[in-house]
Amino acid sequence: MQDLLINIFDKPLGIILTQLILATRFTIYLSLIAFLGGGLVAVIITFLRIYPSKILNYISFCYTWLFQSLPLLMLLFIIGLGIPRFIGQDFDPWYAASISLIIFTSAYLSEVWRGAIMAIPSGQWEGGVALNLNFTQTLRFIIIPQVYKYSIAPTVSFLIQIIKGTSLAYIIGFQDLMLLGKRWANAPVIGSEPFIIFPIMAVLYFCLCYPLAIYAKYLEKKYIIEN
Amino acid sequence: MSCYVGYWWGYILFEFRFFEIYRSSEYLYLILDGILISSGLTIASGFFGFIIAFFLAAMIYWKFSPLNFLAICWIDFIRNTPLIVQLFFVTFGLPLIFEYVWPFWAHALLALTINFTGYFGEILRSGYNSTPTNQLEAAYSLNLNKITIFRKIVLPHTLIKMFPSLSSQFIFIFLTTGIISEIGVNDLTHAGLYIDSRTFRTFEIFIILSMLYVTLSLLFKSSLEIIFNRTLKKRM
Repeated sequence: MQDLLINIFDKPLGIILTQLILATRFTIYLSLIAFLGGGLVAVIITFLRIYPSKILNYISFCYTWLFQSLPLLMLLFIIGLGIPRFIGQDFDPWYAASISLIIFTSAYLSEVWRGAIMAIPSGQWEGGVALNLNFTQTLRFIIIPQVYKYSIAPTVSFLIQIIKGTSLAYIIGFQDLMLLGKRWANAPVIGSEPFIIFPIMAVLYFCLCYPLAIYAKYLEKKYIIEN
Repeated sequence: MSCYVGYWWGYILFEFRFFEIYRSSEYLYLILDGILISSGLTIASGFFGFIIAFFLAAMIYWKFSPLNFLAICWIDFIRNTPLIVQLFFVTFGLPLIFEYVWPFWAHALLALTINFTGYFGEILRSGYNSTPTNQLEAAYSLNLNKITIFRKIVLPHTLIKMFPSLSSQFIFIFLTTGIISEIGVNDLTHAGLYIDSRTFRTFEIFIILSMLYVTLSLLFKSSLEIIFNRTLKKRM
């Protein structure tokens, strides 16, 4: 790929483009980890949020409230710079970035999914009671099949937020598109000035995010028509 | 105030030393300055961003032929790129092209305004399009002209319906403004990093900063709610 890009563009730009495109894969990996891990945690938090128990509801409410009003940057600083001081050991930026993004994602996704569950008419819950199903069975057989169409579009559009959020992870030394691009922009190489590098990075992020935005819009339209 | 967390085989695992932060009045002034600069920049850029987004969304609503397409492209591009890339481009790229010298806070203000226009433009656009059709038909049958319809019917509907999402977007962007410390603006995060580099109490200072951010976002949320109740709620 590098030879092809060097043939198309000239010497510095071809190398820069190759490196930036290769570094994009770490951005994708981190977003996938954050989405899958955050989704798992969010499932648990959402379950606790709607489970008929006051204490569990309160705990999960506090979790979502706290981490929704906490900046992602502060989470990264606490986990990436503070925790190593706390435990007195080095902490891999991969772990720090993944953990803070998972916390960030889970707080927002659980709120989205709770909203989707709340959008279902209460008659469905009462129907479950009338059929003598318990809470988990009602959730499993009646609510979740219907929640899907309310929650899929906002979930896909939240993925964009995650991808944009991963660009902050370079602050704690996570090697991704952002760190490499910033390094190239600072390098005293003719042809890697900031006004060339940053638009390239913006376009790369745009290529990651825009298909998701279009897909989210398509899903929204599809399910609105179905309803 | 200092307290220990955990003993393990006789070793003290960690000792919280919050007093290192408020021991010196310099640090307290830095934090206070940071709060003022962070919230001031966010409010100013939110205000300018709202005004520009208003016109962008109006262009799309009226299908103002070539500008309409440009506005859609602008909004989509801003919404799908991270704020930090925009910030770096505005700070380090644009001055090289157009050869001007601004203070750091002006670059931050410009970048945040650009970011706000994208998000607010999208919200306002969907608000304009969600005006109930029967109200628009009634206005057409009364032979009101386009500008009166927009001013008297579309705009109040949009503001009332979209105020919650506008305010939550405002708070979301306020929470990401910490990254303007990366270009050297003396905001709250910059104060935290400075104090951290002087005292090496990383864990404590970032816990305190998080609490400050949470408090500030709560303040913003409640004051926006008060503004909403005072101005728009009686028109509902």
